[in-house]
Amino acid sequence: MTSSALISFDRVGHSYRSNAGVLVPALADVSLDIAQGEFVALLGPSGCGKSTLLYLLGGFVPIRDGEIRVAGKPVTGPGRDRGVVFQSFALFPWKTVRQNVRYGLERMSLPRAEQEARTARLIDMVHLNGFEDHFPLQLSGGMRQRVAIARTLAVDPAILLMDEPFGALDAQTREIMHEELLAIMARRPMTTVFVTHDVREAVYLADRVAVMSARPGHIKEVVTIDLPGRTEPGVQKTAAFGAYVERLWGLVKNEAVQAAAGR
Amino acid sequence: MIGRLGRALEATGTVLVLLVVWHFVAASGAFSDFLLPSPEAVAARIIDDALSGDVFASLARTVVTALTGFAAAGLVGAALGIGMARVRLVRWFFDPLVSIGYPMPKIAFLPVFLLWIGPNFASQVTIVAFSAVFPVAVATRAGAEGVERTLLWSARSLGTSAGQLLWQIVLPAVVPQMLTGLQVALPVALITTIVAEMLTGGDGIGGAMLGAMRFADSPGVFAGIIVIAATGFVLIRTMEVIRRRMLRWHAEAAS
Repeated sequence: MTSSALISFDRVGHSYRSNAGVLVPALADVSLDIAQGEFVALLGPSGCGKSTLLYLLGGFVPIRDGEIRVAGKPVTGPGRDRGVVFQSFALFPWKTVRQNVRYGLERMSLPRAEQEARTARLIDMVHLNGFEDHFPLQLSGGMRQRVAIARTLAVDPAILLMDEPFGALDAQTREIMHEELLAIMARRPMTTVFVTHDVREAVYLADRVAVMSARPGHIKEVVTIDLPGRTEPGVQKTAAFGAYVERLWGLVKNEAVQAAAGR
Repeated sequence: MIGRLGRALEATGTVLVLLVVWHFVAASGAFSDFLLPSPEAVAARIIDDALSGDVFASLARTVVTALTGFAAAGLVGAALGIGMARVRLVRWFFDPLVSIGYPMPKIAFLPVFLLWIGPNFASQVTIVAFSAVFPVAVATRAGAEGVERTLLWSARSLGTSAGQLLWQIVLPAVVPQMLTGLQVALPVALITTIVAEMLTGGDGIGGAMLGAMRFADSPGVFAGIIVIAATGFVLIRTMEVIRRRMLRWHAEAAS
């Protein structure tokens, strides 16, 4: 428990009530410190509570068991300091690309010209020039997720929460989005918590990978990824990358098999 | 050219066939003019009434009654639907009432409103609103309950306060289903207006038709049917155009 951590999970637990009315433990005793600027992936099979952990950090789900601190202050609700990107994009479908990206800026007391300038800059950053007046349903999945990322970054959050953000995209688009995300991160570093069940994605993107196991979800092991030249092409073919994938897959496999068997 | 004529024939064919059959059945003398006036006689009556302005006065009265009740049903139904979706107390109180009221023939309440309010515009609007409010409330509630939580969460993390969620997110998200409810409610409002006019008298199309029946004026009765059918058609088409305009962003308009 270092005091310099930007995000601290302190013995966090969570239970939900099943349809039968039984209290089911989803998370138990999760403790993890995340430093300023770090990219941490939460990796685990479905049902291990990794998304729930992210929702607790986002302040969307009330924390009843344990504590989560951001910059030393306990999380009590959602805030602009923690931007979020969901797998389902969660764009406002009645708003155009421009209106979606501008949404958060309109809620800050910024001059109109400043709002416009920042919106234009973000749309440019995610390469959606020319699509400003399209509605989300007129865009491909990859483009929609770019809009969501731009909308989140517009309000300049210190922390970026990503809930399987590329899980709904096809394989090629996912690869491209990975590279773009790293490029954005290189220009504008952010503390990131990234939920995924994709081992390769976790190794490629994260500084540290927290492997979670299920029922109730807890952190099994935290693996530090040390890949020099991550943004170089071909890094995914290196032996070091393969070794990390192998090791994490070994940690996750058992859990995934048990989860699939519906233990 | 032929294509356009063909499409026009296709669209109006049923009506044309019906008119032709009506003409020949009426001309055959199988029914008396009193029971089945010829389409020509009915058309002449509509034109006469149109030239004298009578038809527009009745029609205006009917449409104003229907649309006033419809608007009230829209406002109350939307508020009730959103309230039921989001406020436990509202749901607790109104859920059983809506369950009972939705399938009930609301026109049964007309005598009550006549007793309370009297045989006037206000009681007609009240029964119309009462009949049309249920589909709006039910559809709006379903829409408001279906708003994705990630949409609400995204808005919150972008600086929307819990209190602003209703106006910023829930209301726009609910528009498609609210419009569906309104599209169900519009014909209900028209039907109820005509029935209320027939039962309470007055100046509307329903009242005029009843008056024509009492004077054994069968072309007048049939003229009323045709005018109200045409009016309903125009109103519903207008509603469809409004829907398309409002839902430019929606999947159904994406093509």
